[in-house]
Amino acid sequence: MNNRRTFIWKFGAGASAALAATAGTAAGLPKAEAVTSDTPALRASLLEEEKALRKFHQAFEQAMDKGLHEEVIGMFADEAAEVLFNGGVFKGRNHGVGRLYRDRFPAGKTGRRMEQAPGFELTADQLHDSVEVSPDLQSAKAVFPYSIQVGMPFETETSLAAMARLHGEGVRTWWEGGVYRINYRKDVAGHWKISRLEYDTLSRADYRSGKSYAQPILVSRFATRFPEDRDGPDDLV
Amino acid sequence: MRIPMHRFKYTKLTKEQIATKLKAAEGGPKSASAFSNVLNGKTVKIVTQDGPTLEYKFGTNRRLTLTEGGKQISAGYGELALNQMVFFSHLIPGEQKGYNVFIDQKTNLATVFEVWTSSGIKQNAGRPNEFTLDDREVQRQIYFGHVDSGQKAPEKLHHYTNRMTGKGIHWKQDTGIETLELYVSVANTNFVELTRHIDDLSYVATSDYVLVDDRTIIYNRTECEFSGIHTCFVADLYGVKQVGVRFGFNDKDELEYYMFKGDGEVVGQLAYLENFDDHGLRPMFAPALAGAPAAGGGPAPAAPVAAAPQKGARTTYRPVRSFTHMTDEEVHQAALQRTSAFGAGAAQQAPPQAVATGNNLPFSDILVGKEFTLRFDNGGPVRDYRVKEMFKLQYRNHGDSAWRDADYRAYEGDDNLAWFSHIIADSKPRASVQVAVDFTNGLATSIESHMGTEYYGNETTYRAIFGVAEIAGLEAPLYVRHQLTDELVGHAFSWSYSDQTTSMHIYSSPHSMSWVIFTAAQALGAEWCSPCIYVKLRPGVYIFCQNEEACNGNQMIELLNTKASHDCGFTFNGGTRGVSLGVTGAIGRHIGRFDIVELYGPKTRSA
Repeated sequence: MNNRRTFIWKFGAGASAALAATAGTAAGLPKAEAVTSDTPALRASLLEEEKALRKFHQAFEQAMDKGLHEEVIGMFADEAAEVLFNGGVFKGRNHGVGRLYRDRFPAGKTGRRMEQAPGFELTADQLHDSVEVSPDLQSAKAVFPYSIQVGMPFETETSLAAMARLHGEGVRTWWEGGVYRINYRKDVAGHWKISRLEYDTLSRADYRSGKSYAQPILVSRFATRFPEDRDGPDDLV
Repeated sequence: MRIPMHRFKYTKLTKEQIATKLKAAEGGPKSASAFSNVLNGKTVKIVTQDGPTLEYKFGTNRRLTLTEGGKQISAGYGELALNQMVFFSHLIPGEQKGYNVFIDQKTNLATVFEVWTSSGIKQNAGRPNEFTLDDREVQRQIYFGHVDSGQKAPEKLHHYTNRMTGKGIHWKQDTGIETLELYVSVANTNFVELTRHIDDLSYVATSDYVLVDDRTIIYNRTECEFSGIHTCFVADLYGVKQVGVRFGFNDKDELEYYMFKGDGEVVGQLAYLENFDDHGLRPMFAPALAGAPAAGGGPAPAAPVAAAPQKGARTTYRPVRSFTHMTDEEVHQAALQRTSAFGAGAAQQAPPQAVATGNNLPFSDILVGKEFTLRFDNGGPVRDYRVKEMFKLQYRNHGDSAWRDADYRAYEGDDNLAWFSHIIADSKPRASVQVAVDFTNGLATSIESHMGTEYYGNETTYRAIFGVAEIAGLEAPLYVRHQLTDELVGHAFSWSYSDQTTSMHIYSSPHSMSWVIFTAAQALGAEWCSPCIYVKLRPGVYIFCQNEEACNGNQMIELLNTKASHDCGFTFNGGTRGVSLGVTGAIGRHIGRFDIVELYGPKTRSA
C-alpha cells in the first residue's frame, strides 16, 4: 500500500460540506469517502485545513471576480510559485505571476466568474472538486472547477480599437470552463499560499453573458515568451 | 472657414495670452437678443452635490457678486430665460474660469458648469504617450444641485441622460449662425457648421447631456482637438428652442463669449440600442487608466480597472496625438521593403470571431474567365484585364503589350456586379484601385487610391473615376454613368465587422461622415469623423470611401448593398511597416435616418 495515501484525506464536494458542518466529530465522516488515518486529532486538523483551503480558494475567486489582482498576487507563495495558463508558464510571484495577474489578465478582462456557455457546460464529473491535505499539514493539492471570462485586447491599431479603449473596452472576450489544479503550501507564518496553479481548460466558447447561444472558438496558445511578448509567459509548455 | 478643422493649425495660445484675452470679457458675455432680468436684485445660494456652494447677489446693473469658499468677487453676467429655466453665465475676474448656471425656477434644482482654460491636464500621465491638453481647450465640470431656500435638500437632482441620443436638430441662432447637431452618442456630438464653414463637413465634439425634465435638456460640447471652444445651452424640445452661451477662442484666436437664443427643427431620430431600463444616468468618462500604449509600440492594453475620473474627465478621442508624420519618401521606402496585398486573406476561412473581418462577404469568382477593358472618362486610364483564376489577375494599360500580374480579391456586391481591388505594380507613390464593374449595364467605377496627401505621406488620397466596361457581348452606354450621390446622406448604419467589433456610421453630409463605437451596454460612445465620398452604382448599391484623415491615415473603400444590409470592400494604408491592401466587410443594420439633405449644397450667402 502506498504509505502516502494512508495519510491523505480525500473529499468530494458533497462530503466536504457535510464534514464542514460536523468537523471534529468522527460520526460525521461519510463511510464511502473516509480513508484511514492515524488519529482523530489529525483527522480533525485535516478537516480544519481543508475548510481553510476552501475559504482561501473562495477568497481567490472573489478577488479575481472583483479585479483585485494585487490581492490575488499576494496569495501566491514566493518566487518559486508558478501559474500554467494557456500553454504558458508564469514563474515567480513578483515576476511572471505578477505579470499575468497585474498586466495580462486586467488587459484581457480575464478571470471574472460567468455562467457556463450554453451547450458547452462542464459535465458533473468535471465539476467535481477535491482537496487533499498532506499529513504534515504543510502542503495540499486541490481541484476546483471554474467558469470564467477570458479575453485579450484587440491586436490592431485601428481607430475602432483605439476608440473602444476609451470605454475601457477593445477586448475580445470569450468563456472558458475548466478546473483549477492547485498546489498549496504554508508559508513561515503558517498561512496557506498557492505554489502552483494550473488553468486546465476543458471547454471554451465564443460567448458573453446575455447571449442566447454560444459558438466554438479557436484560441491560440502562447507562442512567444517574455520579454518578446511583454505580458508573455516565462516558458512554453 | 475653408481649411477643414482637422487640418487647421490652431495657435497654441499661452496661458498669458489667454489671460489677456479673458480680461476683456470680465464684464460678461454679449448677446444679440436682449438679456432677461429674472435674477435682478435677487440673492441666490446654490448648493451642489460634490461641488461648490455658490452664493450670488444679482445687482440691477448686470453685475453680480459671488461668494465661494469665503472669497467674494464681482463680475458682469448675462442672463437668458427659457420657460421655467433661467440661465446665467459669468467669468471670475483674474482667473481663467467661470460658471454657466441653469436654474429651474419650478423645482429650484440647478445645474452648474464650471468652465476653465489653461487646465494643465495631462493625458496618459506617466506613460510614454503623455501630453498636456492645449491651454485654449475649454474644460468643464458639471455639478448638480439646488437653490437653497432653507428647506430640506431635494433628493432628486438633474442628472445625465441618454434621452437625446439619436436625435438631430437643425438650429438657427439669433446670431445668424446655423448648425446641424446630430446627438448620436451619449458622449459626443456630430455637428456641421452650416454657416461658419464653406464645405459642410461634419465634425465631432465631446458632449454631455443632462435631463431637466421630459421636455428640457441641458447640453454642451467642446471642440477638443480643434479650437477648444465650448458651447452650452438649455433646450426646450416641445418648442425646439434654446438659450445658451459660446465661450472660447475661434480659429482667428479671438475670444468668443456670447449668449444666444435659437430656434430649431428636429431632423430625425435614430434608434438607440441600450436596454430599455438603461437611462444613461452614469456619464461616460474615459477611465483614467485607459489608452496606455504597450511599451515599445503595438496595441494598447485595455484599461485595467477604471480609476475615479479626474475633474474635467471626458470621452475624447484624440487620434492625431499618436499619429506619426511620415514623408512621402519615407513611406515609399517602407513600401519597397513591404507592399502587401491581402496578407490576411487566408484568415477569411477562420471563424468570424477570430478575425476582424469575420462578417465579410465571401470572395467571388465572378471575374474568373473574363477578359475586359475598363475605359474611364475624361482621358482617364484605359485598362485591360484578363482573369484566369480566383486570386490572380493580369492587367495592362490599354495599348501596352506587356501584362502585369497582381493579386486581387473580388466580391459579387450585387447581381453580376464585380467589386475588386489590386495594387498597381511598381507605383510610386504606392497606388491601388478598387473597381466596381457592372457586367449587366456595362459601367465601371474605379477608386484610384495612392499613398500621400499634402499633410502626411502616410495618409492616402483617393478619387472616383467613372467609365464603361467593354466586354464581348455587352454594349456599354455612351452617356449613362455611375455618379457621386447624396442618397446615403442622413442615414445611419451599424456595421458589425465581427461579432465583437461594431461601429455605427452616420453619413452626415455629402462629403463627410462620422463613426461611433458601441459600449458593452450597447450605448454609443467614442466618436470621430472624416471626409468621404459616396458613389451610386445601382439603386440601393453604393460605394463609400473615406480616409481617416489626421487620425491614422487608413482608407476604407466599401461597397454598400443596402438591400442586403451588407458591405464588403477594402482597406488601404501605409506606414513604417510598408503599404498594405486588405479586405473588410460587415453586416449592417439600418439605425435610422436624418432628413438633412436639403441643408446642403451651395447657398446664397451674404458677402
